[in-house]
Amino acid sequence: MEPPMKLLLVEDDATTAAYVAKGLREEGHVVDHLSDGREALVQAMAGGYDVLIVDRMLPGLDGLSLVRALRSAKVTAPAIFLTAMGGVDDRIEGLRAGGDDYLVKPFAFGELSARIDVLGRRAAQPVVETVLKAGDLVMDLIARKVTRAGREIDLLPREFALLEHLLRRKGRVQTRTMLLESVWDLSFDPQTNVVETHISRLRAKVDKPFGRDLIRTVRGAGYRIED
Amino acid sequence: MAPRFLRLLSRSAGSTPVRQAMALVAVFAVVNLVTLGLAYVSLRNAAGQVMQANLAQLMAGFEVAASPAAAEVMVMAAADAADPAHRVFAYIAPDGRVTGNADARLSPDGVEIRPMPEGRPLGRDGYMPLIRPMAGGVLIIGESLTPIRELGRTFLGLLALGLGPTVLISLGLGAMLAARARARVERIESALARLSEGALDTRIAAESGRADDLARIGARINRMAEAQEAATEALKQVSADIAHDLKTPLQRMTVLLHDLRDGLADGSREAGLADRALSEAEGAVAVFQGLLRIAQIEGGGARRAFGPVELNALAAGMAELYGPAAEDSGHPLTLELSPAPVTVAGDRDLLGQALANLIENALRHTPEGTAITLRTGIEDGRPMLEVADRGAGIPEGEREKVLRRLYRLERSRTTPGHGLGLSLVAATARLHGAGLALLDNAPGLRVRIAFPPG
Repeated sequence: MEPPMKLLLVEDDATTAAYVAKGLREEGHVVDHLSDGREALVQAMAGGYDVLIVDRMLPGLDGLSLVRALRSAKVTAPAIFLTAMGGVDDRIEGLRAGGDDYLVKPFAFGELSARIDVLGRRAAQPVVETVLKAGDLVMDLIARKVTRAGREIDLLPREFALLEHLLRRKGRVQTRTMLLESVWDLSFDPQTNVVETHISRLRAKVDKPFGRDLIRTVRGAGYRIED
Repeated sequence: MAPRFLRLLSRSAGSTPVRQAMALVAVFAVVNLVTLGLAYVSLRNAAGQVMQANLAQLMAGFEVAASPAAAEVMVMAAADAADPAHRVFAYIAPDGRVTGNADARLSPDGVEIRPMPEGRPLGRDGYMPLIRPMAGGVLIIGESLTPIRELGRTFLGLLALGLGPTVLISLGLGAMLAARARARVERIESALARLSEGALDTRIAAESGRADDLARIGARINRMAEAQEAATEALKQVSADIAHDLKTPLQRMTVLLHDLRDGLADGSREAGLADRALSEAEGAVAVFQGLLRIAQIEGGGARRAFGPVELNALAAGMAELYGPAAEDSGHPLTLELSPAPVTVAGDRDLLGQALANLIENALRHTPEGTAITLRTGIEDGRPMLEVADRGAGIPEGEREKVLRRLYRLERSRTTPGHGLGLSLVAATARLHGAGLALLDNAPGLRVRIAFPPG
């Protein structure tokens, strides 16, 4: 288990806030909750947070202005926006204001949790790796070769990229949308189970012949690779 | 200087001020021509009459001659005193001998005057002759027409002096005004173009101290843009409010359902119900999200994210993404790419989503075993993107309707989807200035997006 994070949740809808805070606390994180933008500004300036979770529509000071103000005050803690809007411009606007990620309501807790996890560990990531491992699976990034139990596995370029993405985040859940965003560079949600089918192709090559599953499905959230 | 002036003139020939200046110059020229012409004619007539009177008076002085010899003496005296260039005297005696400072012959049309051999030269402009029978012969006195010709030349000079500078000055001023007006019209045109592209914060800079028609039009356009911007802003606000008010309860509902689901054992009836309720909520969100996205695309704001998009790469990427899913559902997906790259100006995300929607439609609405083809190419200079299937197609009468929001064919009521996929494709095509056509693939449907020529 990774060390717990200190999180600031700024959300004015009590039901959503309670649910999110409860879920994050169950995962072992320390969560401070505020519902007013101005109070959140003061609190976040005091510092010490690993990740900020900010609703875009807030009383007092809206989420965009809050993060913008924090960035100009050199508060660099990563921020994820929660928003009711999910339009074309909204995402770009959020990222421009200094946000690091963006989640459209309604969202499943698993999605938020997985994203907070990525944001919080971003700084702590090892710099350069040339070999990634999970259990008896070895990925050589320089030779572009994958072997498991000493047997070479032939992967298509996208399968390689997908496996690499999961290996780099070993032990952490990657949701469908996160995979679409980072492996395929897509910002919309296809209505077809495209990610699932790619994962199942990957599993057929990486897991099936070896009898033990490294790629796990996390119900209601996504996928995770484990030792 | 001159070629530049001509270039300016020819470039501004279509502009209103130059045309007006030219019309004014023409009117001025006609008026000038008519008044000068009339003055010239009356002056010339007057001069002619004076000349005729002179000739008659001169002629009267010779009436006293009683014989040809006397007439010859008198004519010789007068001829010696006169310069034949100005005035000629010629007496044709009854025996045909000519006396005077010029030779003259009577002809059926009147008289022919020629210089005397060894005599002084005649004037170049001809003569006004007066012919009288005298003492058995004929006396001819001719007055040079030079003064009248001079009068004509003077008037032509006047005309040139008066008209030339006027025409040049008017054309110059007109061209200058036209150039100025054109610069202002161009500013207005480019502002309108930016406005129609969705940059609603565009304004036409006010010109201080100007209150003419162009300035008024500019102010009008600015007011219109302000109203449009306010309306768009209001629409955005309303969308945001609706999104917030509708999504917050949806979020809560999802939260509660997840809570409920977490407490239920997998595989139980209750768990199944909770899962169904969750997927219904997701469906509602998808419809809502789709409508919101279409509204935003139609608002035109997304054009700001335009950049070069290579259609071959886009199609190949989507084919790669959907390949396994298509294969699993028994839809062989093939690519027919243009041999050369096909690049359009556009929003990569929106075009990707439009292509994905078309592929998903084909996957969803055609039976297993139906081939799907993604095609790129350039036709008549227009980059195009096509998704074709070999399914049942869409009846011709329904093709327009399927582009409507939430419209679904009777036979596809039972297949998943929310009827917004094609509307989003249509909105995206419109945003890109591209044509969207639903064609017969004989059999099947061929959806083609034809971009404006690059």
